[in-house]
Amino acid sequence: MSVLLTGQLVAAVLFGVGLYGALSQTNLVMIMMGVELMLGAAMLNVVFFWRYLHPEMYSGQMFMLVLMTVMAVEMAVGFGVATARFRAKGSVEMEEAGELRG
Amino acid sequence: MTTLAYLLLVTLGGYGLAVVEEWSSSGRWRPSAPLLRSVALLARESLSPRLLDRKLFEAAPPLLLVAGVLSMAVLPLAPGVVPVELATGALWLNAALVYVAVALLMAGWGPDAAYPMVAGFRFLGQFVAYAMLVVMPITAVAMRASSLVVGDIITSQATLWNALLQPLGFAVFLLAAMAICYLPPFDQPVAPGELAGGVVGEYTGARLVVMRLARLVLVLSLALAVTVFYLGGWLGPLLPAPAWSVLKTLAVAGAMLAVGRYLPRLRTDWPLEWGWKVGIPLALLNIFWVGVVLLVADL
Amino acid sequence: MIQFLFVLLFGVAAIWFGVKVFTTASMMRSALALLFSMAALGALFMAAEAEFLGVLQLMMMATEMSIMALFMIMYMMSPGGLTPMEMTHQKRFSLVAGVVTALLIVSVAVSQFREPSAVAVAPAPDAQLRGLGGELLERSMLVFQAAGVTILVAMIATTAVAMRRHE
Repeated sequence: MSVLLTGQLVAAVLFGVGLYGALSQTNLVMIMMGVELMLGAAMLNVVFFWRYLHPEMYSGQMFMLVLMTVMAVEMAVGFGVATARFRAKGSVEMEEAGELRG
Repeated sequence: MTTLAYLLLVTLGGYGLAVVEEWSSSGRWRPSAPLLRSVALLARESLSPRLLDRKLFEAAPPLLLVAGVLSMAVLPLAPGVVPVELATGALWLNAALVYVAVALLMAGWGPDAAYPMVAGFRFLGQFVAYAMLVVMPITAVAMRASSLVVGDIITSQATLWNALLQPLGFAVFLLAAMAICYLPPFDQPVAPGELAGGVVGEYTGARLVVMRLARLVLVLSLALAVTVFYLGGWLGPLLPAPAWSVLKTLAVAGAMLAVGRYLPRLRTDWPLEWGWKVGIPLALLNIFWVGVVLLVADL
Repeated sequence: MIQFLFVLLFGVAAIWFGVKVFTTASMMRSALALLFSMAALGALFMAAEAEFLGVLQLMMMATEMSIMALFMIMYMMSPGGLTPMEMTHQKRFSLVAGVVTALLIVSVAVSQFREPSAVAVAPAPDAQLRGLGGELLERSMLVFQAAGVTILVAMIATTAVAMRRHE
């Protein structure tokens, strides 16, 4: 079986696991971990596409760097929001975050 | 042959450094102390705390040792004598050193005790302080060599050592190296008096030997990194190339260990404050300076 | 062949650690499982001969996940897993969503798969480094600058959001 297909299957399963986590968890930190898994799966796909379809064009690696930047920025801003929420409410449970005020 | 050279360096150099570390903490020169102490530790019973997290507790010492060994794997002792020749060698060093923080987090959380946990997270605070200060001087050094291959970085210093060309980077990297291997004055994670031994406080017997050995390997690896990046590696007039590497490494490691005897332990927020407010601007200034020098003069 | 074995091994490791993230009761183990899943991804990149990306992934993900472990301990209840709590909602819906999405992606991948006529040869690692650097600073310079400015804005915004209000 081709290596490219194996990589894509692994990325698909990882994406599914990440989606399950992002949808089923109630805590903001756990939701962010699900999103991290999804982004990781996307990065895996990009790298395998680069390697097996167009290894001479470096825009594939460039896109992978952009994805890594997105991951870092998302984590930073997410934790900033979590800190602010924790200070205001005492927990970061998303079940309690249904209303806009207070 | 290469493996043998590195094993010899780690064993003999590590033993010498253990003696210097003994002097640094107690003030007396006892050359037989490391051997006797490690034999005694191996013979002792390995106690485990009651409610420990077994997977994290067991996995932390090997991970620390593996991180130290892996970081040494890309650093050459002589032209061609290097275990793994990676095209991104300088970056691999940093990647391996991050796993030291992971291992200490695991060692702090594993024993389910207060002092190790506090010590592990204080190391994470130290890590946030110095993480940038490790990568930025490496960037400046790689700029001069136009390559991340560690051998090229050494040969680019044939005209002038990096310690003289980039003194800011040298000072910053040396301090960050001391903080990574949690040497005094940055030794909050294993503070003997304050945190009852910190992350190694709950380890006994064979696991403690592995933790202490891992820390010595880490000190050696970082001293070798300082030598390779800033002191010209194996470049030198009379002696053969490996001899110069080993001499410089042991001198740097001895200096790093000896400094701790004369300085008080730093509270965790001081490295954080100085690292971010002073260290990062200095490292950026260093990169700027190296860029100007490379454009104007051809060193 | 060896490459296929490594990809399979690290792929299974990444999936196993990824599943462990959401099934373990201890929050610290959850963060560390995500760390090792990302490390397995880094090893996969190195197996795909993207050496710089693999090393970068190993380094950055270990750093980020250690920070996430810190935030886990700060904000989660029962971080040691000694009092297991049920912290999920709409479990069946999300399970179905995850499985359906994975199957969809797999079907697209398998149906659109064409065996490449010639085995693609990746450039040597140092040629890749130079090529990536050239790409960053020549053709994708605008992307590079935009990413830098985005990171700076994110840093300032995060600090502003997370600062304590002195009132």
